[in-house]
Amino acid sequence: MKSLPVSFFQLKKLTMHITTKRKKRIDVAESGVLSDIAFLLIIFFIVIAVFNVNTGFILGLPRKNSSKIVNVEDIVKARLEQDGSLLYENRRITLDFLENTVVERLKLRPNMTFLLTIHPDTPYQYVVDIVNLVRKDQVENFSFRMETLEQ
Amino acid sequence: MNIKRRLRRKPFVPINSMSDIAFLLLIFIMLISLINYRQEIKIDYPEGEYQEVTQADKNLEIWVDRAGAVFYDGAQVTLSYLEAEIADAVGQDPSVRIHILADKNTAFRNVNGLLEILKLLQHRAVSLVVKDPSE
Repeated sequence: MKSLPVSFFQLKKLTMHITTKRKKRIDVAESGVLSDIAFLLIIFFIVIAVFNVNTGFILGLPRKNSSKIVNVEDIVKARLEQDGSLLYENRRITLDFLENTVVERLKLRPNMTFLLTIHPDTPYQYVVDIVNLVRKDQVENFSFRMETLEQ
Repeated sequence: MNIKRRLRRKPFVPINSMSDIAFLLLIFIMLISLINYRQEIKIDYPEGEYQEVTQADKNLEIWVDRAGAVFYDGAQVTLSYLEAEIADAVGQDPSVRIHILADKNTAFRNVNGLLEILKLLQHRAVSLVVKDPSE
């Protein structure tokens, strides 16, 4: 048998029949990748963003040099020392003891006024502890002042 | 017999629009975070158990660090400057809530100085900020 000569065009025609599988290109917008990235960014910003909500104690302040007449029997006086120790009726007491005293006095005298004198160098945390106690025991009348030291 | 029945199209949510919504949300959150941006001073917050949320619509934050330095709006200020700023803020909006964020180890005299100013300005309520229990 004699082989027939194949021209270039015939060869090209033959090769055209061979189809190669082409991968279908995925559109970025349609794939949903962007939404995934966006949601990840949202989560990131939610975590990063500090929604500053202050929590603490709201205190009502009296006017400067204002005075209020209070029954002496209703007053509970305590003193907060520099080292955080508490003095009540000239003896050192614990915070728990003060709490019990305040609760008992409140039962006897609902109009009880708790007066606290604070040493100027007392760390602020100890003052907050007392305010915390006042809030816990729902003391309506609470007054504090800083001790004036003599030069 | 020639009448063709119309086929109902199944409802579907276009996924493409999701990315648009997500980006809008992103911009919204970014703006909110910028609005809420505050200049924090490094302090050790005091701790309390029975605190409440003291945040109001309008807030003014005064920071006191351990050494007793007073900061307002991210800058260290003197008490006399602060007094003028508070008076100005209260004058503009009397319902502004004043927050004192003081270091738990600072001496009480530093906080008392601020309280005296507020008393002088006849500001009725002050918020003593403590550590958020969720943090």
